[in-house]
This record gives sequence, structure tokens and C-alpha cells, in this order.
Amino acid sequence: MSHDRARTDGLVPALELRGISKRYGPVVACDAVDLTVQRGEVHGLLGENGAGKSTLMKVLMGLVHADAGEVHRDGRRVEIDTPLQAAEHGLGMVHQHFSLIEPLTVWENVALGEPGRIDKDAVCADVEAVGKRYGLVVDPTRTVERLSAGERQRVELIKALRRDPRVLILDEPTSVLTIAESAALFDVLRTAVAAEGRGVILISHKLAEITAATDVVSVLRRGRLAFSCRTADTSAPELARQMVGRDVSLHAEGAALGLVVTDDPAKHLSPVLAGGLDAVPAEPPAPQVSADVQGTAALALHGLCVTGPDGRVLLDSLDLEVATGEIVALYGVEGNGQATLGDLLSGLLEPDAGTVRVDGTDVVLDRPGALHEAGVGVIPEDRHRSGVVLDMSVAENLVMTDLRRYSGRLLMRRAQVRAQAQELIERFAIRTPSIDAPLRTLSGGNQQRVVLARELSAGPTVLVAAQPTHGLDVGAIEDMYARLREAAASGVAVLLISTELEEVMALASRIAVISSGRITGVLDVAEASPQRLGMLVGGEAA
Amino acid sequence: MWLDDGGTVLASALRLTAPLAFAACGEYLAERAGTLNISVEGMMLSGAFGAIAVGSATGSPTVGLFAGALVGLLVALVHANLSHRIQINTFVVGLVINIFVLGMTSFLLQTTEFSRSQVGVLRVPGLAEIPLLGVLFEQRWPFYLLLLVVPLTWFLVNRTRWGLELRAVGENPQAADVSGIKVNVRRRQALMWCGVMSGLGGAYLSVGLVGSFNNNMTAGRGFIVIAAVIFGAWRLKGTLLGCFLFGAADALRLALPSLGVELNAQLLVAAPYLLALAVMVVMAKSQREPRALSKPFERGLV
Repeated sequence: MSHDRARTDGLVPALELRGISKRYGPVVACDAVDLTVQRGEVHGLLGENGAGKSTLMKVLMGLVHADAGEVHRDGRRVEIDTPLQAAEHGLGMVHQHFSLIEPLTVWENVALGEPGRIDKDAVCADVEAVGKRYGLVVDPTRTVERLSAGERQRVELIKALRRDPRVLILDEPTSVLTIAESAALFDVLRTAVAAEGRGVILISHKLAEITAATDVVSVLRRGRLAFSCRTADTSAPELARQMVGRDVSLHAEGAALGLVVTDDPAKHLSPVLAGGLDAVPAEPPAPQVSADVQGTAALALHGLCVTGPDGRVLLDSLDLEVATGEIVALYGVEGNGQATLGDLLSGLLEPDAGTVRVDGTDVVLDRPGALHEAGVGVIPEDRHRSGVVLDMSVAENLVMTDLRRYSGRLLMRRAQVRAQAQELIERFAIRTPSIDAPLRTLSGGNQQRVVLARELSAGPTVLVAAQPTHGLDVGAIEDMYARLREAAASGVAVLLISTELEEVMALASRIAVISSGRITGVLDVAEASPQRLGMLVGGEAA
Repeated sequence: MWLDDGGTVLASALRLTAPLAFAACGEYLAERAGTLNISVEGMMLSGAFGAIAVGSATGSPTVGLFAGALVGLLVALVHANLSHRIQINTFVVGLVINIFVLGMTSFLLQTTEFSRSQVGVLRVPGLAEIPLLGVLFEQRWPFYLLLLVVPLTWFLVNRTRWGLELRAVGENPQAADVSGIKVNVRRRQALMWCGVMSGLGGAYLSVGLVGSFNNNMTAGRGFIVIAAVIFGAWRLKGTLLGCFLFGAADALRLALPSLGVELNAQLLVAAPYLLALAVMVVMAKSQREPRALSKPFERGLV
């Protein structure tokens, strides 16, 4: 993109942030961040979870007020206090979790948040015109809840592009997209940038995506701008090092950072790392135990069907087996039934049909707590919703699922609770000010360790880990991987539900792919490649 | 004979539906914005009282009627600011308002003398002669305000930008916020509309139907309105149908003794509520409830 550089050099940048700072109480989310986005440039913003990317963008969109700092648009200083003002200054954003209102139609969503009268016909015409220009076809009169994730993304893009933003911000835009949909998205971005001179900020934690799609990349680390450079002049390992703040040496970390996926399936085991970093000790793959050797599987799901309240099929006669000591991954794009299966195995919902067998015994699913008693431990996808109680203490959270063990006829045995909590805190290296501290005061990684410690301390036969590394930093991810491997090695059957290809490749011995609530294929990790998995994810047989 | 009885019951049903219909227009709009205010009962009761108080003071029931709407708005402002500005639980606020209004109106009724005040009947010549349906054209004049208020409410919710934003706020306040809509402002505005409409409904009850105010005059009609919105699955047409159903049940209750059916009076009083309960059980599975109904919104860190 050197010609872009020549064209934009000497011109005022489309967007310039100077010294943006924001703190939430004692937590510094952004610390004097400078960022410059030129016209006609895709600017990658990279950082771990909690590095301050989202806060920075919220400041730009007028959703959060910065404590200090200035925003300049085309060289003029602007004040952005509301999303409406952000739009007036030519800033548009595609949010990570869609900002669409599901029961409304496409055109109503597109028109939302603008001032003035609404004119259905004009908006519909706009939707079609913008759609045609960028190749984003969608029917403006359809209701959003009937659209797929990819189509919703299109609506978000149309909504943003219709207002003709000079700077378009995309926050983790590919997290719910298939590989093909992601590729299409980046094509649209190229058009918007190259042909129309817009600036684009692409926020991601996936290195592969950043190196492939951006012109310039900036790395945020703990609220500070750690690094900024032309993408062509840097490398994925360098970016990984800047993101984490130290050398990335473990395979697990590489996977966590999204270094593993390339176009070449033969090299799926950390090609970038092997080429770019010194001495990468490749971790041994997870113990290979196949189900038929073990006889009965520790966890056997058979013919599970779940229909949502709106009549949508969420799980469609799903079959899956996990043997003792094996890690099986359930891989797929978000929103294809993983959350439903997670809820089902947590006992939060009952299937319309099908059975769950644990150690060869059918579990009676309509009794609360039946799965837990049968030996199924769950690390839930959203730990705040169904994993922990944030305002209760660390100790209370650690014993919560097994209260009978720690109570007499009437009273809790406090000494026993404390002893157990103390032991788990040490064994799982949970960093907490005290065992009585409210769980809220712990970092995400340590909260997740509390969940893991509690579930493993019950001595489960099966451990279901749903997106166990979501929102964790690299160190915590590495730790989680080690713990999961350890659990499998000690004879627990682990079902890993994940949307991260790299994670699945790094941990599992078998990968089952889910698409529209069905298992479209099960591959041994040795024969799995991003291509074959990608086809299965799209619902085709590979 | 049959036609006469039918006409009488229908006329009475229409009269009893009207106050519900006014308030339902307000409650429908408020619930679409995601705010569930049980204070609609208090709004109606205070509106009924305010209408008589002002009507008897000024000697004009028409002024009283609009004063009633204003009093309803006042109650709505209190509710709106408590629950959508300083974020007190909307049910607690509603409960307190209802009890306060009941006590306050009873007190004022005992300590003050009010003269009768009632608006006039508007009879449409010709149409009022039609058998059975003629009753539609021989009502107290504010009845015909419904012809204005109902389409206006529908238009506001379904055709204006304000209404689109209200619906967005009722379904997904986080997404609405991100799109640049002031969630709690919209909810407060929705409550104000609800206050005016409920006040009008209450005023219609006092200066329209009865001509005076008596203790706890609304007697739970506000709750019936909430049931009617549920019955209508949060659509205006269904809501109004629900209002008519409850109005008719009420009319039937009043008419049964004169038709020669003997039933326990207390049981009859309970009947419309029994119907409301049954309706809610049947409608419990409807998937059209605004998804953020009665869920408070506060901008968080997440």
C-alpha cells in the first residue's frame, strides 16, 4: 500500500486521537493513547482483552467520556458527547455485539438513531443502493430476527455506510462469521477504503486477520499504545510480542493469539511461530484415546433435539461421544447451537427428545441438579450468568455447587468451607486478596479459575468447558489450557465447546463440527485442516 | 324484548369500556417502550378526583376533564423520574403511588365538599335511531375523543420516528443506546403519554359517567388495563378488544340482576378479575412481549 502512503503523506489525517485517557475507578482503561488514521487506510488495532480497545472506541463514539485527551477530525478538534455527534463528525461503527433490534425490520434498524422524519421508501431505497454498491444484498423489509449472523453483519455495515462515514470502525467483526463471510467482509472494506478514501479502524485480537487485512497496525497493551507500524514492516510474532509484552513461546499462547491458522493446511501446527520465533517447543498433542478402545463413552449424547420458544430448531438430533481421558472439541461459528448445548448440559433446559448418558447410565434430565450429580462439571460460557455469584465471597463461590458436603442439618460448617477454599486457592493458584473477598474484585482469569477449581474439585466424570478462554488474557488462557490437559490426563472426559479454530486445534484430539444444531462431521485432529473444518462449519460434508 | 336488553347491556358495556380504552392507549404505548407502570391505577384514580375537584370548583366539567388529564400527567412525572431517572424499582414506585393516591383522595373527599359535575351527552341525530348499534351515537361527548386518541396512539407508535425509537428502547435498550437513542428519556416520555391518557380515562369515569367522585372509584380498573394490554399481545387492536371484553363483563355483571339472574354480589365483583387472570394464563405463552419490558436500563461499563 505504499502508493496510499505517498498520497496521504502531508495531508491532514482523517482521524487523530491525542492523549486519550480514561479510568474506571482504580482501573486505567486508556492511558494517554495517541492514534492517527489516514484517509484510505485500514488501521488495525490489536490488543488482548482488557487492553483498552473497546474503551477507546466508546470514547470515539460518544458512549463514554474521556477524562483527558483530544479528538481531531480532518485536522479540526471535535467534541463527541453522544453517538449522534459522532455520526455528525463522520464516525461510523459496526459493533461487536450487534446493535440491531431483532423484532424490527431491516429498514427500521437502518433508520434508527437518526434525527428527523422517517421515510420508509427512502430508507428502503438507500438500503438497496448501498447494498448494490458494496455487494451487500439484503431485503430491507425483512425482520432482523429471521436473518443469519452474516446477514445481520451486512445490515450493520449498511447502517454504518449509509451515513457516509469518513472513518469506519469495526469491533471484532468476524467473531460470528464463517471464513467465507469474513473474506467477503474484507473485500467490502477494501472497496470502502481504496475507492472512496475512507479511513477504517479494524479492531481484532486475531493476528492472522490483522496481518492480512490492514495497512497500518497499532498495538494496545494495558491501556497504553505499545507499538505502531506499517503492517508490511512487521511480522505476526513481533505483533504477538508487543501484544503480550514478552516473548511468546508456548504453542498454547500461539493458538490463543490466532497465530496458527494459515492458508496451508499442512502447516497448521504453528507455522508462524516455527518460522518467526526462536525455539518453539511444540507441545505434545492431547492424549489420543479413541472412544471405541474405551468401550462405553464417559459422555454420550444421543438424538438431542431442542426447539426454541420462537419455533426455531436449535439442536437437531445431535449425537456426540466423549471417552474418558479424551478432549473432544465442538467447533463451529457462534450461534449454531453451542450455547443451547451448554445450557442443556448445565441443566438449564430440557431437550424435546434425546438422551444424555454419563458412564453408561441415562441421566433423568427433568430433575434439577441431575447432571451435576451424575458427574458432569460445567464451565459455563457466560460465567457471570450461570457460573458464579459476583457479590458472594471467593470461598462461598468455591463450594456453592456442593453445599451438602459442607453443611450439617441446619448450619454451614464454616471451618470446613474455609479449609476447602484455602486448599483450592492454593492448588489452582487463584490470586485473591483473601478467601472472603467478593468474587467481583478478582480478575476475569481468576474468576474463571474459581469456576474451574470448583467443578474439578467435585471429581467429575465429564467436564464441559464452554468458551473457557473467552475474555481472558494470554497468561490465563495458557493456564486454562494446561488445566484442561491435566484434567483429561487424569481421566476426565473433556468436551470443549469453542468457536476459536486455534484453540480447538491446540487442545482436542477429535473435533466435532456443529452447524445449525447438527454435527456435520467429526475429524481426528491429525486429519483436520482449516479448509475441511471450514466446509463442515458451512454445513457441507468434507 | 331481547333487543332491548341487548341494547341496554351493550350501551352499558360501551360506557364502561371507554375509561379503560383511554388508559389502555397510554399503557400500551408505555409498555412498548419497556416500562411497566402499575401506577396506571393511581393515575386513573387521581385523574378522576382531579376532574371532579376542578370541575366543581370552576363549574365547568370540561375544564375538569382536562384537569384530570393534567393530574394524571403529574403522577406520571413522579413515576418517570423515580423509576427512569434515579432507577428505583418500577413496581415499588407504582405500589407506593397507588396507595398514596388512594389515601390522599379518600382524605380529600372526606374533608371537602364537591358539587356534582358532569359533561353533556352528544347525540348524533339519525344514527342514534339505529336499533342496537344506536347506542354508539348517544354517549357523553368525551367518548368521541377516542376517535382521535386511538388512531393517534397507533400512528405515534407505528409511524413516527419517536415511536420507532420507543419500540427499539422496549426491545433492546443497549442496542438503542449504542444507536444514539436516549433510553431513559424515551421511557419517561412514554410514561407521560400514559399519564395523560390514564388521567383522561379516570376523568371520563368521574365527570363523564357518574358526575361525582366516590372513594376508590377506579376499583382496580388500572390493573384491568394492564391485563388488556397483555390480552392484546402488545398490539393496539387486541388491547382495545381486551378493554371491550372487560367492559362487557363488567356491564353483564351489572345487568344480570335486572335480567332475573341471581348471583352473589361479591362473586360478581370478582368476575372481571377472574376473567383477567384466565386471559393472562392463556396469553402467557405469547412471544410478543417487548423483550426489555420492566427491565431497568443503566449505562454500564460493559
